[in-house]
Amino acid sequence: MKKLNLLALLLFIAGAVSVFTLNTPTTRAIQQRVMAILAPFIHSSAAVQDAVSAGGPSLDPRQVQKDNEELRIQLQNLKIIAQKYNQLIEENNSLRKLLDYKQSYPFKISAARVVKRSSTTWWNTLIIDKGSLDGIGTDSPVITDIGLVGKTGKLAPHMAEVILLTDESCRVSAKVEGTLEQGILSGERGGLEVRPNLRLKFLSRDAAVNIGSNVYSSGEGGVFPAGILLGQLKRFENRDITGEGIVEPAVDFSSIEHVFVVEMEIQVDKQAPTPAPPAANAPRPAAAADDVVPKAEPVIIKQP
Amino acid sequence: MLFNLLVLIATICTFAVQEFIPPIEIANMATLFLPAVFFMCASVAVPFMMMLVLAFVTGIIWDARYLPPAMMDVVQQPETLSLMGGVGGDSNLMGGNLAFGISVMLFGLLGAFMQGVRPLFKRGRLELPVLMVGAVTFIWLMAQYLLITFMRGSFNFQQGVWSKMVTDTLLSMLVAPLIFLVLHWMAKLSSYEIKYEGLRYNFDGR
Repeated sequence: MKKLNLLALLLFIAGAVSVFTLNTPTTRAIQQRVMAILAPFIHSSAAVQDAVSAGGPSLDPRQVQKDNEELRIQLQNLKIIAQKYNQLIEENNSLRKLLDYKQSYPFKISAARVVKRSSTTWWNTLIIDKGSLDGIGTDSPVITDIGLVGKTGKLAPHMAEVILLTDESCRVSAKVEGTLEQGILSGERGGLEVRPNLRLKFLSRDAAVNIGSNVYSSGEGGVFPAGILLGQLKRFENRDITGEGIVEPAVDFSSIEHVFVVEMEIQVDKQAPTPAPPAANAPRPAAAADDVVPKAEPVIIKQP
Repeated sequence: MLFNLLVLIATICTFAVQEFIPPIEIANMATLFLPAVFFMCASVAVPFMMMLVLAFVTGIIWDARYLPPAMMDVVQQPETLSLMGGVGGDSNLMGGNLAFGISVMLFGLLGAFMQGVRPLFKRGRLELPVLMVGAVTFIWLMAQYLLITFMRGSFNFQQGVWSKMVTDTLLSMLVAPLIFLVLHWMAKLSSYEIKYEGLRYNFDGR
């Protein structure tokens, strides 16, 4: 080997090693910058894809009118429900005050449009049209009206990548409805089909679970809030020491058009120690509670 | 020198073009990975030093665009954890992804394989280089999958994995001759001599 080539090889190895040793914030910054540079192309490709798919059979005007009327009725119903909802919130708040009940932390929901499904080697991701400048952070839960979609990954100013629930690296602490069974839900490796099954691992062996039960997030992790629907239990298998459930995802990932990004509003007094879960009958000091417990606010929904 | 620069620019441009290439749903979202295939084709057309530069640039951009972001350390987000119910849980369960920079090493290694058929390519033979592009694409995907398997545990090969890898490989072999043509055109444009004409025998009919 020529001396110059040997030198180039050594430099290459040194460069590669230095890249390996970059810390997480630096690699995230690099990823965000590259996403930001490629964002116009991603948007353009989605526009091209839309244009191609719009070139198919044209919509029937009668059907559109009928859909429109149905949507108007639905809107009126939802307005009535929203009024009732606000009344309930007010009533709930006044009852909370009476009980001095510690309110769960409020969260903000931002609506986003799905731009496209990414084509990668081994990862299940899609792109949405809201990013860091729209107030979205990395690792925020992404949901639809049906259930959990995944969590945000890389961000651009007005674009974000969502790691889907069907990806093996997106793991959610989950519980089976109607039981005390809890486990970890994740996708299957290489499960790149449109709607692959999920695996609920680390259940008890011979767990008494009903097939068809809903599986919800348990909220015991640091990313996903509790009570989000993940899917339905299809099958239960006993492994060597644990049980494993096969779960059909609630969301059809091939037909998602709009999603909601959940942003937890963190309001913690930095001076105060980490709040421990209160004992059932332990009295709570009112002043400290005011510092930590935020005022009740309805869920904020930003329209896309 | 101008040829090397053109190849470098073209390699970077392929990342923009990649966004326009749709996946094939029936083949488990298989697609043509243009930046990777372009790099493999370019590896036989450029000298060893330039191949390493291309491997570094392609690897960095590939990981930046396609690798999921690494999880922050738990100590960097204590508020979130305390709010959401204590230690453990989702944020601690996200490990097992490839490290940023892994593609640099993989592309470097695979580019070195491709350099092995450079003498043939210089003689104007494209059959073996095209086959090598397919083989190297397959090795690249397999290496990624095996690394993920090694990091996450449990050896698991579904049928969909094979169909995806085979489709990706076939697509790369299909496009490789076109990329070689583009590389020849770029060489002509920059007066770079890819072909080694010294050993060619010309029969003039006498």
